[in-house]
Amino acid sequence: MRAGRIVGLVAATLCGCASQQMSIRSLPPETPAADNAAAAENVAELAAASVAEIAGEHSQTAPNAAPLVTPADAPSMYTYDPWERVNRFTYRFNARFDEAIFFPVANGYRRLPAAVRARVHNFFGNLTEVDSVINYLLQWRLGHSVRSLGRFVINSSLGIGGLFDVAKDLKLASEPTGLSTTLAKWGMHPGPYLVIPFLGPSTLRDGVGLVADYGAAHVVNVADLYRGNEAWALGTTDVIDQRANISFRYYATGSPFEYETIRFLYVRKRLIEDGGLHWKGARNKADVAAPAGK
Amino acid sequence: MTARIIQIALASLFLLASLVNAAEPVMPPPATGPATGLADTAALRATVFGTPPKDMAPLPETVPLAEINIALPWARPVPQVFWFDARLRVWLSAQRRAAPLAVVIAGTGGDGNTPKLAILRGALYRAGYHVLTMPSPTFPGFIVSASSTGVAGDLLQDSRDLYAAMQAIITKLPRRVQITDIDIVGYSLGGANAAVVKSIDATEGKLHIHRAVMINPPVSLFTSLTRLDNLFASSIGAGDAGVESLYRQLYAQLANLYRSSDRVEVDEDFILAAAAVELTTDAELSAAIALSFRIDLVNVFFAGDLYAGTGVVVDPQHPPRVGDSLEETARILRGKPFSEYFSRVFAPYYLKHRPNSTGKSLIADSRLEIIGDALRGDADYYAQTNSDDLILDARELAWLKDTLGSRIAVYDHGGHLGNLGDRAQIADMLDMLAGRWNVTAR
Repeated sequence: MRAGRIVGLVAATLCGCASQQMSIRSLPPETPAADNAAAAENVAELAAASVAEIAGEHSQTAPNAAPLVTPADAPSMYTYDPWERVNRFTYRFNARFDEAIFFPVANGYRRLPAAVRARVHNFFGNLTEVDSVINYLLQWRLGHSVRSLGRFVINSSLGIGGLFDVAKDLKLASEPTGLSTTLAKWGMHPGPYLVIPFLGPSTLRDGVGLVADYGAAHVVNVADLYRGNEAWALGTTDVIDQRANISFRYYATGSPFEYETIRFLYVRKRLIEDGGLHWKGARNKADVAAPAGK
Repeated sequence: MTARIIQIALASLFLLASLVNAAEPVMPPPATGPATGLADTAALRATVFGTPPKDMAPLPETVPLAEINIALPWARPVPQVFWFDARLRVWLSAQRRAAPLAVVIAGTGGDGNTPKLAILRGALYRAGYHVLTMPSPTFPGFIVSASSTGVAGDLLQDSRDLYAAMQAIITKLPRRVQITDIDIVGYSLGGANAAVVKSIDATEGKLHIHRAVMINPPVSLFTSLTRLDNLFASSIGAGDAGVESLYRQLYAQLANLYRSSDRVEVDEDFILAAAAVELTTDAELSAAIALSFRIDLVNVFFAGDLYAGTGVVVDPQHPPRVGDSLEETARILRGKPFSEYFSRVFAPYYLKHRPNSTGKSLIADSRLEIIGDALRGDADYYAQTNSDDLILDARELAWLKDTLGSRIAVYDHGGHLGNLGDRAQIADMLDMLAGRWNVTAR
């Protein structure tokens, strides 16, 4: 019944919006004064961080540091995408879905007071610590695992069920991780590029990680949030909160090359996060160098 | 978990955006040297990084915002690969009371909601204007939904299309948006478009546009873009090989920086920090400017070739369909300079459609001089530029000063748009729009 209504709504919005000649859609108001103040603060922090990073860069020359990535180590500009047809179809579907439903709903949500949204965001952020604890263990980074556990305990108790990020004020900032990172640390190749319905760009490895992370949270089932009667509503709120915190808009580039651009950037971003090509052996293999879609 | 996926896409975009938005990608340092010899590292830096937040003019606490999507009747059939660009998208911030409307036009390749437009929107809204921000006629979304040719880059034709789109939008605005007067502003190429739109309106009288302010406008589109080709060739290298080697270099730099940091994600903050660390030399800053323009040119080139049927990368008989890979096309196009767009797409199209035109006349038509008389004689045209603006050479700056007389503000520093939003620029712009700007008082 509910599913039927949703399908009807989706179909109506997907077909209906394009017919009007001119449509006006109200968006959440902009807050330029606050944004600029935040940017000014960021500049100072960035300056400090940049100095630290330059210093960090120099420490790379220490004898036992990993060898620097050289331009020759960079992966080919082509991206391995054997499922391109399906991926492109899914990307288009995601774009239409986002435009018709996801984005407008998130915009409505963004009209709630910032304080309310921050509580919601913290609440769901706190739940992700469960996956971080497990995955830092799997990555054999015990300190980080304990840290995530500490964050979870502190924020769940002092932070009133995770509504407030008290741990951050105690210099325990959030450092989430997941199975996709664990698999990368274990040396698993990202595999083909994959666009996941509703969610967006990924790779086979990251997609598997994503599903497993959700499964793990479901198994742990903190406070029966994942299997209780309200699980459906909570999950929906979680997803809307996440979308509302992302300014990405499908086809804001207006470019017919957006699929290629996102694919290119996503895969490079993940490679850099995985340690800038620590699977050196893989880089000359055909599957990395092969032209996409050939 | 969902967030991670989409955030990754977001952060990925920032990799691109740090280059695209950082530099308002219009034009290059001139081959003949900058206007005053000041186009040094400071000018390049300002161009790439923009106005520092601490120097920003006062901005309002909140600005209401609405998005308008409109189908325009004269638009050409939408090619399959542009399915998402069928309607023109603009943004409106309306006052609650009767107020003048400021229409603001983006620079080359920009959509109707660029960060620079957002700055101008905030300042104008605070000063009591309704604000309508529009994409550049070189933005692919505009080319598909609002261009009558599909071949962007002709100052007059693009501005005509812009003018027609403005009329369609303004006449359909809800009644509660009460407009007392209309002014027009544009930055970079959008500045030139704004002035030409006002001159068209002076003849046609459909909107009664009152004043126009050009912010860092080009004087000759063709020469500026040709200079940019040179900049690309000198800072990146010719063709796709140059792009690939730049990519490899950037990748290695980012990877090393990331490994030496203790960050857990390549996100917006990381990219900003990386840009601050890595973009330091003139060559690096120049490469960022040249590359960001090239990324925009790829879209213009592709759309033009598709619409004009010139067959450079698009087979006119078998245009790409919606599910087709465009990777190879993108690879070819990113190696192609503006001069090739001009000679193989733009000129063939316009020579065919504009009787008695020649290559030379097309180049002449890309100059602001086509409205020189209006700029000289009509007291409602204003301009703001910088003596170290990279897109002007000494002769062009002199022409602007000579033509506009007391109606131009020339600041010492800022490069190209690097002072857009700072206190002096905004205060002067608002004075110009209100008709109370006085050069002698400065």
